[in-house]
Amino acid sequence: MADSLIFGNREAEFLKELVRQKVEFIIVGLSAAALQGAPVVTQDVDLWFRDLTEPGVAAALKKVRGSYIPPTADRPPMFAGEAVRLFDIVVHMHGLGEFDEEKDNIIKVRLGRFKVPVLKLERIIESKKATGREKDKLAIKVLTDALLAIREREGRGGGTTTARG
Amino acid sequence: MRLDLDAIKAICDRQGTSVTEMLREARVSRNAFYSLARKKMIVPRSIEVVAEHLGVPVSAILDEPVTPAERLEVLAREASRIAASNEDTDSDNLRHTLLLLDEKPVERLRRALRRGRQFNFR
Repeated sequence: MADSLIFGNREAEFLKELVRQKVEFIIVGLSAAALQGAPVVTQDVDLWFRDLTEPGVAAALKKVRGSYIPPTADRPPMFAGEAVRLFDIVVHMHGLGEFDEEKDNIIKVRLGRFKVPVLKLERIIESKKATGREKDKLAIKVLTDALLAIREREGRGGGTTTARG
Repeated sequence: MRLDLDAIKAICDRQGTSVTEMLREARVSRNAFYSLARKKMIVPRSIEVVAEHLGVPVSAILDEPVTPAERLEVLAREASRIAASNEDTDSDNLRHTLLLLDEKPVERLRRALRRGRQFNFR
C-alpha cells in the first residue's frame, strides 16, 4: 500500500510551488537519471538550488507545511516535514561547474501539469565519474548504457522522449 | 483504420495534458492532426489497395506490436541491435531503459524510489 504513495501529490505540490515561485533549482543525481529513463534505484530526490535563501523556497515549504533546517558544522542543510521527506538538498555537484554554469544543461520534464528542470544525463554521468565513490562507479555503466539507448530512441523517433510524460 | 480522437483525449487527460498542449510539445501542426483525425482511413491509399487485393484488413499487414509480450520482444530486439553496434554495452541495461521510456517520467521516478527504499544502498 505504501508503495503507491511514493512521490505522490504532496511531493509534486512542493516541486510545483518551487516552479510557480520561480525558484532556480535543478533535480540532480540518480532521481534525475530515473526521470529520463535510466534503470536506476535511489532513495531520495536531490535538489540543487542556486540560492537556498530565495524567498520562494520558504514560500514553497510553507505551502506544504515543511521547514528548512540550516546547516551546522557536522550536518548539511535539510528539509523537514512529511511532504519534503523525499527531498535532499545538494550544495555542490562533484565534477561540475557552479549552478550558473550548469543551469543550461537541463531538460524540462513534465510531471503532470507542470514541468521541472532536470540535469541532463550526460552531466549526471560526469558528476558520478568525479566522485570516485564505489557505488557511483557501479552506476556509471548503467547510466552510460541508458544514455546510449535514449539517444538511439530519439534519433529514430526524432523526438524528446525524455521530456514527455 | 482511423484516428481514435476520444482515445487520444483520454490518454492526454491521464497524462495531465490536453490534446492542444500535447500537439504543441510534439511539434505536430494542429491543422495536420485534425485533418488526419477527420479521415476515415489514415494509411496511404496504396496500402489500402494492397490489403484489399489480399482480401485482409489493413491492420493485418501492419507490423505493430499489440500485446505486452510482443512489445517486450520488440524492445529486446532493439536492445540487441544497439548492443551489436556498440561495444561494452549491456543489452539488459539498454532493454530496461527502452522499457522505461514507454512510461511517464513520474512513474519512472516512483519505480526508482520504490526499489531504492526496499533496499538500502547507502
